[in-house]
Amino acid sequence: MKLDRRHFLRAATGSLVLPWLDAWALPGGDKPRQRMVCLCAPLGLHPAYLFPEKAGKDYELSPYLEVLKDFRNDFTIISGLCHAGMSTGFAHQASASFLTGTQGAGRPGFKNEISLDQFAAEQMGGETRFPSLSLSGEGPGLSWTRTGAPVPAATSPSKVFAQYFLADSPEEHIAQARRLADGRSILDDVGVEAKRLRSDVGTDDREKLDEYATSVRDLEKRLAQDEMWFKKPKPKVDAAPPQDIVKVADLLGRTKLMFDLTHLALQTDSTRLVTIMLGGSTHAPPIPGVTLGHHDLSHHGKEPTKLEQLKIVETETMKTLRDLLIKLKESKEEGVSLLDRTTVFLGSNLGDGSSHAVKNLPVLLAGGGFQHGRHLAFDPQNPPPLCNVYVSMLQRLGLPVDKFSTGTGTLTGLQ
Amino acid sequence: MKSLRWTVAVLLLAPGAGAQDAAAPRPDAAAEPVRAFLTKNCLECHGPEKAKGKFRVDQLDYTISTKGADERWAAVREQLSTGTMPPKAKPRPAKSDVDALHAWVSRTSIAVETARRAAQGRVVLRRLNRVEYENTIRDLLSVDVSLQDLLPADTADHGFDNVADALHSSSFLMERYLEAADRSLNAAIANGQKPWVFKKRIAVRDEKPSGDCYRKLDDGALAIFSSWISANICLTTWQFTARFPGKYRVKISAYGLQNPGKNATFYVLAGSMQGVTEQHLVGYYDVPNDTPTVIEFVDTLEPNNTLRIVAEGLPVTPPTVQKVGAANYKGPGLAVQWVDVEGPLFDAWPPLSHQRLFGDLPREPVAKDRSRFEVVSKNPGADAERILKDFAHRAFRRAVTDDDVRPYMDRVRKKLAENYSFEQALRVGLKSLLISPEFLFLREKAGKLDEDALASRLSYFLWSSMPDEELLTLAARKQLSWPDTLRRQVERLLEDPKAEAFTKNFAGQWLSLRNIDATLPDPSLYPEFNDGLKESMLQEPFLYFNDVLKNDLSVARFVSSDFSMLNAPLAELYGIPGVEGRSFRKVTLPPDCHRGGVLTMAAVLKVTANGTTTSPVLRGAWVLDRILGTPPPKPTVDVEAVEPDIRGATTIREQLSKHRERPECASCHKRIDPPGFALESFDVIGGWRENYRSVGKGEAIRGKRYKKGPAVDPSYAMPDGATFQNIDEFKRLLLKDPDQLARALADKLLTYATGGAPSAGDRVEIDAIVRATQPKDRGFRTLVHEVVQSRLFQDK
Repeated sequence: MKLDRRHFLRAATGSLVLPWLDAWALPGGDKPRQRMVCLCAPLGLHPAYLFPEKAGKDYELSPYLEVLKDFRNDFTIISGLCHAGMSTGFAHQASASFLTGTQGAGRPGFKNEISLDQFAAEQMGGETRFPSLSLSGEGPGLSWTRTGAPVPAATSPSKVFAQYFLADSPEEHIAQARRLADGRSILDDVGVEAKRLRSDVGTDDREKLDEYATSVRDLEKRLAQDEMWFKKPKPKVDAAPPQDIVKVADLLGRTKLMFDLTHLALQTDSTRLVTIMLGGSTHAPPIPGVTLGHHDLSHHGKEPTKLEQLKIVETETMKTLRDLLIKLKESKEEGVSLLDRTTVFLGSNLGDGSSHAVKNLPVLLAGGGFQHGRHLAFDPQNPPPLCNVYVSMLQRLGLPVDKFSTGTGTLTGLQ
Repeated sequence: MKSLRWTVAVLLLAPGAGAQDAAAPRPDAAAEPVRAFLTKNCLECHGPEKAKGKFRVDQLDYTISTKGADERWAAVREQLSTGTMPPKAKPRPAKSDVDALHAWVSRTSIAVETARRAAQGRVVLRRLNRVEYENTIRDLLSVDVSLQDLLPADTADHGFDNVADALHSSSFLMERYLEAADRSLNAAIANGQKPWVFKKRIAVRDEKPSGDCYRKLDDGALAIFSSWISANICLTTWQFTARFPGKYRVKISAYGLQNPGKNATFYVLAGSMQGVTEQHLVGYYDVPNDTPTVIEFVDTLEPNNTLRIVAEGLPVTPPTVQKVGAANYKGPGLAVQWVDVEGPLFDAWPPLSHQRLFGDLPREPVAKDRSRFEVVSKNPGADAERILKDFAHRAFRRAVTDDDVRPYMDRVRKKLAENYSFEQALRVGLKSLLISPEFLFLREKAGKLDEDALASRLSYFLWSSMPDEELLTLAARKQLSWPDTLRRQVERLLEDPKAEAFTKNFAGQWLSLRNIDATLPDPSLYPEFNDGLKESMLQEPFLYFNDVLKNDLSVARFVSSDFSMLNAPLAELYGIPGVEGRSFRKVTLPPDCHRGGVLTMAAVLKVTANGTTTSPVLRGAWVLDRILGTPPPKPTVDVEAVEPDIRGATTIREQLSKHRERPECASCHKRIDPPGFALESFDVIGGWRENYRSVGKGEAIRGKRYKKGPAVDPSYAMPDGATFQNIDEFKRLLLKDPDQLARALADKLLTYATGGAPSAGDRVEIDAIVRATQPKDRGFRTLVHEVVQSRLFQDK
């Protein structure tokens, strides 16, 4: 693949991205860059409004999918899937396992494992300025490290925007250079300390110290990469810096900002891996016709007025997703739409917010060059693991894997 | 020395393959009958041929020592004891054989655990959690700096976010620690000029609040006649915005208006007022009618912050006032006379935090930027070494040697050689110490804790922070572990204001109070719920906990009590007359009010419900775990949760009865359901109810949007058959076994205090702790003492 330094990318919003794409070597030679965006709607999506009745190509659009009708051939809706080992009593806690597939979320002694995006970042993260981007509309995010620690999720789009696209002041630039250099010295020293302590403790403690030492080493590597990137100018975008939305209830407004940011980050190839926890506020979102909080609505107890309001809220979520898909579709890279190079995955830890079911999870996969346009319906009583979708997604990123977490292979029917 | 290094290298290459694992344990002879039992009863379906449910009994580890083995054996026991396995069609195994299996598993697990503890200790190396880190920084550097936004929230396990197993490290966390160290050092070190102090009386009459709901009074006061904050009816002191971060002292003179005999209530917010996340609640205050009263507080403000006063509970909307005009309005109001602000308050300049680090080393302006000051030294090497050593002693919470600080000192020397200024070089060393494993982890060695480790365990238990000088000194003299010294120190720590951390973090998690905002009650069903009530709800269990702790009341008082800590909004919710105003006080409960103890506190009832419905299953499971210490096992079969129906047609009792008909569900539900149903008499905000509230079917109620739904039936039977009609009778049944309540609480205290949950084999030790509290009627303070005196606390 040729990378043209003067290659201009025109964004869907009409914003201009200046050329900065240095022709660094890509793994696998000429393979196009593939990206991945993972989204979790933590209160689920009402199954009756999401899943079509018929399987296959000729299904009738459900109320929620109606929103995406222009993209019918750009997405696949998948029903029946779940993660093994989750329980209804810990259905909310199961969001910790959403991208990891680790069994027993919420149970005493639960230890999480690496999430899909961090797994990918370990192998391809060095190719971009930021190995991955973890965002959250509210509360913790979706990404977890190999050591089972949460990756802190950014909640302020304006701060991420500044970090990604705004040039530092000269003073800040000098201060940052010194922070990076000092940081590396410090990590060097404490890494040695960890080794010294290690000889003096039992095996269980040693595991903790090893986790610490690994963390130190990983950060040293990242700071080294940061130093390299630090010397190159950040990409310039002419989109205005976002204004953070402080109103707690306006999660959808925040989601839109995060989606815009995601689009810019992918388009400028600042990162290729994004996870976003969409959140589900306890407060009534500022949408006409909605008077109750989203969490409360998800516990609708089949009450018709609540279901009606829930439908309004979740339809708005689908619309924000549609807007992201539009932007990705309209952005071109080497004549190919960015959507074809970006797998967008929307799902949830909850199959049904009202009963706290953890089966038959909503799964929607868009873009990424998959053959779309179908409803893949699996038997909720005996489905393949949801992690099989993750194996398919990892392969789409060009990673040579055939297993991930509980996933034993790619998802049948997804090509 | 050479061979030791070699060993370390080998260990690095083969993680987990330490010397202690070299001799793999072998199953004992007593395992044979168990193997024969499983072969006979289970192998056909759970063997190499069928492997149903991917579970194979021929692959079980009979030493119960490998990873996950205990869980697989627990599953075997659970299936057998609930009778789920063998399946109904197969012959039942003899009870004596099942009992023998249980006994063997228990015995073997305990033996394995005992051996592990001897080599490794019970709890694993524990990292400071976010709260502990922030408190430690506060005490170590004498600064008040917020780091909550910087550090990621910790994962909780066994109900607490300081359980060592669940506290992991990551490169992301390390990055945040680097940033947190910078922020902390910047707060402690004074690099600026002495801040200019704002000290002024704000003439509130000159503030121009929007909306015609105010009247200017002759005494300079501004009167407010509506509580409609959504229409911006409030008083914001725009004449004051903080220029410097720090603590500010605020005095407000206010009184109630046109409401004889009643108090006026208001609350104060502080922040930039740019949005709800940019402000925080300072507090609620009551002032009497017509009598100007001064309230005072000290609050931490950031640059650009100001204050906002909002009247609470005034009955009318702005249009009602505007109709007659604020000048003629006759209803109740709040008059704010003046607001005095002084700050930032500082102890000295440079502040104590700075002096504590650098002693009397002078500050000088920096050449490039004359407004910036840095500490300078004529003897950089010696000064840096002295400062680092003193800092390391407190940061590592133990005596330190020259060897301990050498790596950090070497780094400072290198930086000085790279032409870093004295302060900049020293900062690198200080920052390293704040990232080092000895600061971030509570280092403990297998066996009995050494004195230093004991000092840390004690202070992190009761203060969620580092030990102070007195604890460190006692530890250095090897006197802390003396039983009498420990008792005196526990008393001293509990009397210190820092012990509020114990209430906040232990009680806050034990009673799930951190989840108070997880749901927002449906306003059409619960119009009486508001933020003021929520704040009141949250106070009650904390104040009550403190009272029980202070007065060494029996742990039984957590279940049942003749008093509580109430204010007017809560008393109104509870239907208890005669409690006026927002301030909390001890109230003797009327005999028929169904309150007393934490189970029937509104906050607990709220966090165990969702915004619309209550679930006897969730509340029941909560009571079993938190109060009785017998958490229910996870469902043995994959059942969908009961879907609540609020249309008024069926009750949760009817829905659950179907579920209970299944034998595999019945065994647990006979334990879960009794507390759950007893609490059905309380709605999602903790109000008493005879009938469910319904938005669908039901009898209309005058003046309410909700309807009268089906009647609540809180009666049920305990697993032993004893029946109860309501919550009061249920509580009396719980009180029959106060030792169990004490055991449960001892278990929670030990988990929180040591960062590791006790296991089944610790029952004997926990029983001994409980026995020791019996002479004091199982007093809670006594229980805290006995926990500290126990081996479980004093061993790693």
